[in-house]
Amino acid sequence: MGDDKLSRRDMLKVAGIAAATMIGLRMVKGANASETAPAGERQWAMVIDQNKCTGCGYCVLACRAHNDISPDITWNPVLEAGQVGGKNTYLPRPCMQCSKAPCVEVCPVKASYYRPDGIVMMDYDRCIGCRYCEVACPYGARSFNWEAFTGNNLAVPEWGEPKIERRPRGVPEKCSFCYQRIDRGLALGLEPGVDPDATPACVVACPMGARLFGDLNDPESSVSKALRENPTYRLREDLGTGPRVYYIPAVADARREA
Amino acid sequence: MFKNFRGKPVITPWTIWLGVMSIILLAGLVAGIFVFWKGLVITNLTDLVPWGLWITIDLSSIALSAGAFSLCAGVYLFGLKRYQPIARTATFVGLIGYTMAMLALILDIGRPDRFWHALVYWNEHSLMWEVTMCVVLYLTVLVFESMPIFANFEWFRKHFPKLAHRMEGVHHYSPVLAVIGLGLSSLHQSSLGAMYGVIKARPFWFKPEMSVLFMLSAMVGGIALTLFASMLANCLTSKAKVNDVLIERVAQFVRYLLIGYFYFRAWDALAQTYTYDPGRSEGLHILTKGPLAFNFWISEMLLGMIVPMFLLLYKPTRLNPFWRMLGLLLVAAGVVTFRWDTNISGLLVVMPVVPGQAIAYTNYFPSLVEFLSGAAIIAYGLTAFSLGVKYLRAVDHTLVEMEYETIQAEAIEPVKL
Repeated sequence: MGDDKLSRRDMLKVAGIAAATMIGLRMVKGANASETAPAGERQWAMVIDQNKCTGCGYCVLACRAHNDISPDITWNPVLEAGQVGGKNTYLPRPCMQCSKAPCVEVCPVKASYYRPDGIVMMDYDRCIGCRYCEVACPYGARSFNWEAFTGNNLAVPEWGEPKIERRPRGVPEKCSFCYQRIDRGLALGLEPGVDPDATPACVVACPMGARLFGDLNDPESSVSKALRENPTYRLREDLGTGPRVYYIPAVADARREA
Repeated sequence: MFKNFRGKPVITPWTIWLGVMSIILLAGLVAGIFVFWKGLVITNLTDLVPWGLWITIDLSSIALSAGAFSLCAGVYLFGLKRYQPIARTATFVGLIGYTMAMLALILDIGRPDRFWHALVYWNEHSLMWEVTMCVVLYLTVLVFESMPIFANFEWFRKHFPKLAHRMEGVHHYSPVLAVIGLGLSSLHQSSLGAMYGVIKARPFWFKPEMSVLFMLSAMVGGIALTLFASMLANCLTSKAKVNDVLIERVAQFVRYLLIGYFYFRAWDALAQTYTYDPGRSEGLHILTKGPLAFNFWISEMLLGMIVPMFLLLYKPTRLNPFWRMLGLLLVAAGVVTFRWDTNISGLLVVMPVVPGQAIAYTNYFPSLVEFLSGAAIIAYGLTAFSLGVKYLRAVDHTLVEMEYETIQAEAIEPVKL
């Protein structure tokens, strides 16, 4: 009986130590959970001028062609954003490429990750299709491939040629700031945001010049200038996700000038 | 065991039961094959509601398996040794529950061929990763904990007596397994709630009490289901032998837990009625006045908590097997409803992306394929449990396992009660 009590006490001790270890581990984990995107040399960002956007949807088509997107999915929808000064305004919504992206935090397999230049990337070969990222994204930027996209892409070749693989069935996909164009452009010595071939397709396709793209670390880039010279806002800034897409709000006066 | 298959088929309640279950399993198997073949497009899941019926089955199976860790902790760590027969049943229920959860997950993930990625590519920041690891590890613990149960299989004992003896011997490690099980379960049962609780994009979920609610409700529901299943088996077959005194005592524990769960759940909901918070208030509206109002007020609150609280607190009803069983079943059903409500209430509220735009609502109703495959997962659980009762003495309170402190003791000593 004495042995029995002793061993039970030992068990409780072990249980206590195990519980304490678990709690400790969790606290360490909690401290680590606030990881943000690494600060690489270049930090890509987009500025969208709502004064200029007419909602034509060219960016949607260019995006569809260059990224070979299924007709069921839109990476970059142009949303109606009400009227300002009697005119309709629009809000194109690419992936925000958050500096503290909920999708990267929640992904169980690190299929979503940060590139050093701030782009939130998807490893479509690693993703298990749990859709936690989709649930966690405050911007609805992710679309799941409920079925395989096997048909023709009707936006090709009129709006561009895809230079990336189609995503398989069973994984969510999203805008990547056309990383393939950026990387290829940089390899050719081009400057993203300046040279069209190195710039996201939507930015190039916009007939109104409503989209600017460039490096936040370069004070002379078009985005840095636009951010200095204009009032801007980001979507759901209250959530602390740190989006890399900035909007210049539509103003009634600016409409008249344009 | 196999005699019946050779001779003329004998129609007994048992064969009818197995027949009905086989039909549901077969229908679910066909539905499951369709899911793997056609993809998730044949479900009613959407980009707005990417988690539906299957995730509810997954969450509920894990929750209702919580009897295993709680009762094993009670028996092996807190010295409540006489409840060991109930802990054995709970372990078996837990093993079934976690395999059910695995089945639901395999259906639910878009790339079932890559399910092993979660074990290889670690994202320690992700609660989903933590839950996956804990569930896999805990399932391993449950397999070890259930070995003495599987050693009870007559045919197996006859043909592999040595192995059966070895498997019984695993029982010596029960206290160690109980410690590991307690740790892993405390982690993932609450983390399942936290999985929802950390999602800032869904204001109705975004609250710390999510993990507390999941943990508490799992313990309440898990123990209740184990007791209910034991009593039901006792009603239906002579293979199950329960000691009603033990069940009644544990049912008393359930009612106190239930009071705690009721307290937290009620406060969680009621405290959110103060002030308007975009998204959160809409979620609460869906839950208490919208499409989930019946679920919340009737299934969860009235039938899931208040009625069973009465049935288990009031001595005459608690001592009456029928009312006690009803109370325990209602508790378990209430926990399942809580899982469904929690998942859906957060997803049905669509937060606007465009500043200033109104909050929208969406809806979700599972498709036939989801229902059929979901029903088959449940049928698998029921079949496995009934087989366990029939062949593995999963519910047998007369079976006393050897004392874990005295390794040299005789293997099994049935005690007449």
